[in-house]
Amino acid sequence: MDCTGTRDYLLDRQRGALTGELRARVDSHLAECESCRSEDAADRELSAALQRHLSKRRAPEALRRSIDGRLAGEPPRIPWVARRTPWVVALVAALPLAAAFLLWVKTSQPDAMVTEAVNDHLRILYGAHPIEVESGGVHQVKPWFEGRVDFAPTVGFGGDDDFPLQGGAVAYFLDRKAAAYVYKRHLHVVTLFVYQAEGLPWSTVPTTSSISLGHVRAKALTTRGFHVILWRDGDLGYALVSDLDPRELEMLGSRIAGS
Amino acid sequence: MTRAPAHLTLVAEPDAADTETWYPETVAKATVAPPGTALEHLDALYRVARSLTGRDDDAEDLVQETYARAIAGWAQFTAGTNLRAWLFRILRNAFIDSYRRSRNNPVQVAFDEELATSASSGREPLHGDAELERLRHLVTTDIETALASLTVDARTIILLDLEGLTERELADALGCAVGTVKSRLARARAILRERLRDYGS
Repeated sequence: MDCTGTRDYLLDRQRGALTGELRARVDSHLAECESCRSEDAADRELSAALQRHLSKRRAPEALRRSIDGRLAGEPPRIPWVARRTPWVVALVAALPLAAAFLLWVKTSQPDAMVTEAVNDHLRILYGAHPIEVESGGVHQVKPWFEGRVDFAPTVGFGGDDDFPLQGGAVAYFLDRKAAAYVYKRHLHVVTLFVYQAEGLPWSTVPTTSSISLGHVRAKALTTRGFHVILWRDGDLGYALVSDLDPRELEMLGSRIAGS
Repeated sequence: MTRAPAHLTLVAEPDAADTETWYPETVAKATVAPPGTALEHLDALYRVARSLTGRDDDAEDLVQETYARAIAGWAQFTAGTNLRAWLFRILRNAFIDSYRRSRNNPVQVAFDEELATSASSGREPLHGDAELERLRHLVTTDIETALASLTVDARTIILLDLEGLTERELADALGCAVGTVKSRLARARAILRERLRDYGS
């Protein structure tokens, strides 16, 4: 057996998992090869170092409780709060209670635009606004809106393997018409509403969760189990809604806003 | 360490079949009850996540994501097959996904190229007693820094082996052939030792 062959078996040999004829061949090579003996010694030392430095950690108790709960069917806890509890407690303690309360009141009341986005998404899901044009790509969907909405909905993202575009429909967003683009992610339906932003109460949307989508800032919120991302780009407003994992929704948002 | 320029960094494309199999597909399937033993692997998953991410909070997020995907995908887990390897494979995929997504950073996944180029130096003789001395006096951050310089698969195979996974489990977790595990592990460890020579204090 040569050096290359021998070294693949050193770990098994260290652990006593090498027996019989193979063990004899490796032993006999080691007996005559100074280089492989030295390699074996260093490899044992590496095992000891890895054991010493990396094997002692245990999962934090808060994480264990959280996972235990999720396995039992409880909804996930908010990880960053659980994780940074001391920090959060210190911060909240430093704030006047009244301010914290007001913030809570403000963010816990669903905003009209957010509520509308979710309701419109549900109308798509329940077929009140079924897909009116099947997607053959964005170049088929976008022209279809001509004459159906009173603006040109700018959406450059025509779907991809992750988020195939299913089609489009005309919807209403509060007091105005909106172009609805319907994407899919596995079995999740994602609806993108594009509407004229002027005159809508953008500033009342809570700003507690501001995210970056390409070159635009967006607001990400969750209500009734649906995740909503709202942003403005020029004259147009965009609302992306789904029950999809928020990070995946953000990924789709980035593709749309960046297109 | 000199890093390869970004445009030379290997970026593994998501494997379509892998994505199909390992992403939670459906809400309906999520009603399948998780195996009662799923929590037993938490410490090991956390340790590997901590070594992969290098941060406590990222490790917790990665473990949360791993269990979330597992819970949504229990239906895809074949009862009687290896739960530990399955969970570690989800963890590896979730790590690669999150790394790509949040850091906007090319991630070196496959380690074949690294191994090919490093193999000769990995097999070069020996640093003898000096290397042994160095290994004995490493501090944890030396090991973490050296590990972080390896590709994801090289890191993962070392860490999973440390957790006691069998060759079969390693192959399942990494999505490679059982026959290649032994030599991959040996080479990954050889490269780690090379790096420790550079990083060790």
